[in-house]
Amino acid sequence: MNKLTDQELIDELRIRMMENKRALEELKSLNEKLKSVNKKLEESEALKSHFISNITNEIVNPFASILGLSKSILSVNKENWKKVFTMVALIHTEAFSLDFQLKNIFAAAKIEAGEVYPEIGKVDIQNLVRSVTDSFRIEAQKKKAVFDLKFDIPVGEDNIFYYKTDPEKLKLILSNLISNAVKFSFDEGTIAVRIWTENQGLSFSVTDHGVEISEEFKKEIFDRFKRADTSITSLNRGHGLGLSIIKSLLDLLGGNIDFKSEKDKETIFIINIPEAAEDEDSFTSSLNGNEMFFGDNEVF
Amino acid sequence: MTDPSTHFLYPSTLFASREPFIVNTILGSCVAVCFYDTALHFGGINHYMLPFWNGQGLASPKFGNIAIEKLLEKMQSLGCLQSNLIAKVFGGGNIIEATTAQFMIGDRNIAVALDMLREMRIQIVSQSVGGNLGRKIQFDTTTGEIKQKYIEKQQPINVSNVKLNPNPIINNR
Repeated sequence: MNKLTDQELIDELRIRMMENKRALEELKSLNEKLKSVNKKLEESEALKSHFISNITNEIVNPFASILGLSKSILSVNKENWKKVFTMVALIHTEAFSLDFQLKNIFAAAKIEAGEVYPEIGKVDIQNLVRSVTDSFRIEAQKKKAVFDLKFDIPVGEDNIFYYKTDPEKLKLILSNLISNAVKFSFDEGTIAVRIWTENQGLSFSVTDHGVEISEEFKKEIFDRFKRADTSITSLNRGHGLGLSIIKSLLDLLGGNIDFKSEKDKETIFIINIPEAAEDEDSFTSSLNGNEMFFGDNEVF
Repeated sequence: MTDPSTHFLYPSTLFASREPFIVNTILGSCVAVCFYDTALHFGGINHYMLPFWNGQGLASPKFGNIAIEKLLEKMQSLGCLQSNLIAKVFGGGNIIEATTAQFMIGDRNIAVALDMLREMRIQIVSQSVGGNLGRKIQFDTTTGEIKQKYIEKQQPINVSNVKLNPNPIINNR
């Protein structure tokens, strides 16, 4: 073995020191990352317990009032029958919000289980949008908010615009956008819903004048269980699932979402959905057709 | 024998069944992990787009770490034993030219599969990963056999799985 000169020894040591330093720095940055992942884990644990308390608030309580109200209706005197109207209206509101929330929870569960598929059909867009806004009319009336619907779409002779997409998923997407707009709109506000065609599909925008989205919240707006207002006394219901569901469903339909929110101005959400292929089968026809011949070297 | 039913596997979903099925899917930078139970003779497959879920959005099988775990759970719920499983891994092509490691989604997707399967002690009996072409694959759930065809680059690939997330999620790796 040849002897190292002092100079070579010093050089070698320097290189090793440098390597050591680099490794240390790498370790440091990895540690930082670990810290942030740990923080996320803690948060998600907290969210989980928050979710359970939410369930009590938002599922058990409405059920209790539905049960209570229906019981009172059963025992109402004939002369007081007018009271029944208000009670039925209350039951409807509670049941509607319950139904909407359960739909969201089931949708999220299905997406997380990886069992959600597009079910494409010919959809009468105007009809679908109107049925969604109608279903939120009572909620909006409570705030004296009104809907302003505008369609800018080419209609056929029968005055109907058909679009190939998944009706149920589109409905849930719009319901969540409109529900949020109603929730965060100021009293007596206008919620503008616009629908127009673009060369790459169909666009929807929902605009409200209300609480703006904070810069901080903008980053995590599509995360699950994140809500703009997390105080337990918050008047606004919901699990913070809406936008995360919208995002996943749009992924499935090949669409996208964008939003803008400024203080004292409007908050606008825009979604765009490309038209689905002729029907579900044609999407896969190139796979099923005769062109799919495999050679021996292509079998695994 | 009657022809088995076919199923088209969309990105971010998974599929497993004890009934005979032919599962088709198209992979770009996405990866599909197929499990096959050698004792009960049935299989399952997933199709994920990104390597890790980092708390963004729903914890769906769009992300490798979740998709592989969920597929294993699903197989187990259908009665299979982890020790009877074998795996095959496909996809992870670098369809879109990328130079920085953080954007090499295909490579990172493959790495997740290989790492997780090693940890789960599930043997990978065959694989076709990487490269820069897309793949069409066809999985027979009763035999575990997979047929694969490369998709030529010129051919327009119309499925959303080839499209990259416009805001690539940089995961903590």
